[in-house]
Amino acid sequence: MGLQPRRTLADGRALPLHALPPALTGSLLAAPAAIFLVLAFVVPIAEMVGYSVTAHVTQGTTVGGLTLENYARLFRSELYWVVLLRTLRIALVTSLVSIPIAYPLAVVLARGGPFWSRLVMFTVISPLLVLVVVRAYGWKLILAKQGFLSWLIKGVGLSASPPALLYTEWAVVIASAHVFLPFVVLPLAGAIGKIDPAVEEAARTLGAGRWTMFRRIVVPLSLPGLAVGVTLVFSLTASAYVTPQILGGNFAAMLGTLVQQQILSVNDWPFAAALATVLLAMTLLANLVLLRLFERRFGRWVGRGGGR
Amino acid sequence: MMAARTSAVSAPLALCCLVLAAAILAPLAIPVAVSISDSLFVSFPPKGFTLRWYAQVMADRDFRSTFLFSVQLALLVTGLSVALGVPCAVGLTRFDFPGRQVVLGLILSPIVFPVLVTGVALLQLSSRMGVNDSFLQLLVGHTVICLPYLVRTVSGALHLVVPSSEDAARTLGAGPLTTFRRITLPQIRGGILAGCIFAFITSFDDYAMAMWLADARHFTLPLQIHVFIERSFDPSVAAISALMILFSLALLLLVERILGLNMQRIVAG
Repeated sequence: MGLQPRRTLADGRALPLHALPPALTGSLLAAPAAIFLVLAFVVPIAEMVGYSVTAHVTQGTTVGGLTLENYARLFRSELYWVVLLRTLRIALVTSLVSIPIAYPLAVVLARGGPFWSRLVMFTVISPLLVLVVVRAYGWKLILAKQGFLSWLIKGVGLSASPPALLYTEWAVVIASAHVFLPFVVLPLAGAIGKIDPAVEEAARTLGAGRWTMFRRIVVPLSLPGLAVGVTLVFSLTASAYVTPQILGGNFAAMLGTLVQQQILSVNDWPFAAALATVLLAMTLLANLVLLRLFERRFGRWVGRGGGR
Repeated sequence: MMAARTSAVSAPLALCCLVLAAAILAPLAIPVAVSISDSLFVSFPPKGFTLRWYAQVMADRDFRSTFLFSVQLALLVTGLSVALGVPCAVGLTRFDFPGRQVVLGLILSPIVFPVLVTGVALLQLSSRMGVNDSFLQLLVGHTVICLPYLVRTVSGALHLVVPSSEDAARTLGAGPLTTFRRITLPQIRGGILAGCIFAFITSFDDYAMAMWLADARHFTLPLQIHVFIERSFDPSVAAISALMILFSLALLLLVERILGLNMQRIVAG
């Protein structure tokens, strides 16, 4: 991949760095960032996971010693189960909802002319620059009882008293899908852009219509991009805090809210560590399973079709 | 990049895109519409016209101080990420060394790990170590989540550098540092800038890390806006939203001018 630096030069005017073997130069360059992340990322996470099995709180005091009590508690109490399942459900539904929204945008982004792809690019990227809190507030204004949506529905005459979506799981799903949409559209557009136009041309020559072409060529060949995007949306939604807080309130509390309560109100740090570990495991598992699945099933096709 | 022969966008697809675009931009447009409403509560349709919510917000001490603090923090985090990330990206793309794959995995994993979890872990560790300097914690925490983006974009840019240009410089007797400064750096400037913008936005927008690490004296803007949303029901929050959207629009124009459509390639990885 990268070119190897020349160690010997014609005239020998060399900086000290020159004398170093490339392996050493490379590791020296990468070391500060790597050491920083070990200290500020790996160690804290390992400590947290360790803490979740070496301490628990009984009657207000923290007891040491190896224990699975924190995890047992999570599965024993119905309240925590409900939150855990809701987190999984909201993350899953959000991922599924974002697929049909992302495809048309990604196709136009990758295949549209300069005007259309620029327009879609602007629409998809610009929300990314606006604070998540502000975007969530925008949805709150839309979905509230006296909000924009119910005003619109009443104005069109669809219903005299439209249901308020705010403070329901659907509100969380809608806002999460919106906030994380760029993370599906962009990898998807990248995958679609890599499909060899000759394949589509061949299909067209053989008489395939637009829809057939989309179904038989674009979808299968862009699945790896879709897998990346959907996995990201799943993990980001499952571990979100502020969007569910603003749009779901206490009616759609998710795992993040639970962790926050345990630390800032109940002060039960070992249990919070266990909850955070579950959240982490969920995210990593989704990444592993989904990406592996797609890789195994579709890797073969893409390897051939993905010439740039 | 894209051949124009498949460019025709069919009418249904165009319509579909326009509807989606409207839905995507609605949550940004609605607060702007509400922010000029002359009523004590948010309601639809907005009534009358006033700019008093803007005046009220601009004079708000909490809003101003948290905005300035968040900008400062994001700038510092970006600088730190560049200092750590650019050499790292060069090391990872230009050299092969034992453990390179491990370092690569390590650098990118904060993107995969939930920020909320990383934040809790940092809070627990620092409180058990007795560190309670909130500013330092925020600086470290934000750098953890911003660094990967910087390394990724700069690595991407490094892969695009014309290899023969570096070779030529070296053959002509330039040292590795001179080659980097005079030949490589100008070619990866766009990548570094894109990484900086990413790092800045990631820090500026972060809620899930700051909710753990911030204290009353080091309060970030997203936390403050959430407080406003919970506390007030008049259109002043909408005015804040509108101001933040304007701020983002200015950022977007900046990004467009510097990077053009390259943004797409960089974001998509």
